[in-house]
Amino acid sequence: MADPAAELQRQLQLLAEQFRQRLQRDLPELSAQAEALGKAANEAARQPLLLAIRQQLHKLAGSAGTFGFAALGEQARRLEQQGGAWLYAGQCDGSQLPAFIADLQRLSALAGNAGPGGSSEPLALAFENRRTPLDQRIAILEEDPVQGQSVELTLQNFGYQARWYASAAELSARLAQQDVDALIIDSDHSAAPELLAGRTSQSGLPLLVISSSNDFASQLRAVRAGAVGFLCKPLNLPSLENALQRLFSLQQGQPYRVLIVDDDLELANRYALVLRQHHMHVQVCHEPSTVLEYMARFAPEVLLLDVQMPDCEGPELAQIIRFNDDWLRVPIIYLSAETDLSRQMQALLRAGDDFVTKPISDNALITSVFSRAQRARQLSNALARDSLTGLLKHADIKEQVSYEVARAIRSRRPTSVVMLDIDHFKQVNDQHGHPIGDNVIRALANLLRQRLRKIDSLGRYGGEEFLAVLPDCSGEQAQKVIEEIRQHFTRLTFQAGQQQFHCSFSAGVVQSNGEQSAGELLHLADQALYAAKHGGRNQVRLAV
Amino acid sequence: MAELKRILHVEDDRSIQAVAKLALETLGGFEVLSCLSGQEALDQVQGFNPDFILLDVMMPGMDGPATLSKLRELVDIEQVPVAFMTAKVQPQEIEQYRQLGAREVIVKPFDPMTLAAQVRSIWSRVHG
Repeated sequence: MADPAAELQRQLQLLAEQFRQRLQRDLPELSAQAEALGKAANEAARQPLLLAIRQQLHKLAGSAGTFGFAALGEQARRLEQQGGAWLYAGQCDGSQLPAFIADLQRLSALAGNAGPGGSSEPLALAFENRRTPLDQRIAILEEDPVQGQSVELTLQNFGYQARWYASAAELSARLAQQDVDALIIDSDHSAAPELLAGRTSQSGLPLLVISSSNDFASQLRAVRAGAVGFLCKPLNLPSLENALQRLFSLQQGQPYRVLIVDDDLELANRYALVLRQHHMHVQVCHEPSTVLEYMARFAPEVLLLDVQMPDCEGPELAQIIRFNDDWLRVPIIYLSAETDLSRQMQALLRAGDDFVTKPISDNALITSVFSRAQRARQLSNALARDSLTGLLKHADIKEQVSYEVARAIRSRRPTSVVMLDIDHFKQVNDQHGHPIGDNVIRALANLLRQRLRKIDSLGRYGGEEFLAVLPDCSGEQAQKVIEEIRQHFTRLTFQAGQQQFHCSFSAGVVQSNGEQSAGELLHLADQALYAAKHGGRNQVRLAV
Repeated sequence: MAELKRILHVEDDRSIQAVAKLALETLGGFEVLSCLSGQEALDQVQGFNPDFILLDVMMPGMDGPATLSKLRELVDIEQVPVAFMTAKVQPQEIEQYRQLGAREVIVKPFDPMTLAAQVRSIWSRVHG
């Protein structure tokens, strides 16, 4: 039997996958209802439809977050409230109805993303259902056609639906369709000053600004236009994609985990309620001596700590937590009625990161916790992941392989290991330079990430070498999936200046027979990879 | 001293039913009986003899509050705490649910990793 926590995670993933499949049935139905709502002749015909739609939305609002589809749940909640208000008024607001219907029909876009799930059964199906989760739509405003095309193409290779526009009028026409998820504007475009000045930090669509000048004033203008990213020319496309990914992962990510330590249970539960309503996962610990158990079990990303508790003061507890290297990254926020600044400072000097003073407004609480959590997660991702690809680093993916192989031996389930290497990569670097080579690596990383399941682990093993482990997956299934990815990859067009070129990769796949060690499997996968290279490259070999 | 072992969960959404059952059984070590409707809960409650009842608020047919008022004729809710689960939480609603006899309102979407702890904490406030 596997480690119980991991086993639970797997079962939760399985349920999440089932939920995702259910969404694939329910959301088109909801979309059809929305269409009927739009076509309804009068209010009397609209109201019963609206009632049915609202019931669906209510269910989604209550369930999607539990399965990791937080963005879907939030949007459903927002629409539910709007629909509820119209039902209450006995009348739909005609001016808002088209947007309401469009939002309903776009819910499935949110369902493709996130979700903790992959599945274990049936496997082949899970792979096939996993089309492109990264279907975010990006509009680019750029006057220089070479730059515009290259950004468009590269982002397409990275798995986005990117579209380049040379004129502001074309861009506006596209934006009027309200089907764009993020916007990239070159601030050197002749229409950019006007466009940017017209936006505020409240304007809905996420914005990235690219600019030829890196000075303070340009960056300030970008911030005031609501930009969430600023990139200087010459453009480094992987960092542009990094910014996009950061943006979308913040939008779609798993809820933040917050631990509240307070002996006042009522108050702690109240805080917990407020934070939960903002889709954070919260646990309350009211016995300071048990805090380490909570830390280990729940792995919070932010800790809210009461300063005055009977057996142990907040700062003492913070110091105990800081004894353990594992928790160094977790921000500690004190909750206290203490308004004396010098005593607050003393507490912070001992350990801890921030102070919020009771009574605290709901908004202040949410903001303090959210900003700390967001920062902590960014840092933690930056430290654990390969900076170019966002994949696991060498040591971490190896560890993951050992872990999965050990589990496969215990559970007697097939598990496959894949080693993969880009063909003639040195030539790419030599001919086109490292930045272009980086684009190739990143495109492959994204492709793999999109096509593999969430339960699979994927890492950058070396320069142009990748390693993946696919639990509950036979060698044949793994070979089939990697072969599809190989074919897709060879079709990607890369651009270096005016030149275009294509790349390929070779891969070796091995299925565990339930006896080999992780080291042996890695060796076998490497041999299969060698055979693929030796046999003419651009192919996937299964170890025999 | 009463012990928390059996939980009756009433929820019309099968996905939520499954995830709650898994979370409560695996993380809490409880025995869980899931019912798809208020009526099913009324039929099952005496045979199952739960220590705790989790009730979804919005269900087709008999909703959570209606189910609770009928359940009160069958079980002693002083001893068997009832918690509502709902996605809509306005303070006045919580108050209203309390007046009906519910001990707590668990906000949806709930976190499967913490559901068992939440239930235990409500239980210990009643029986602690």
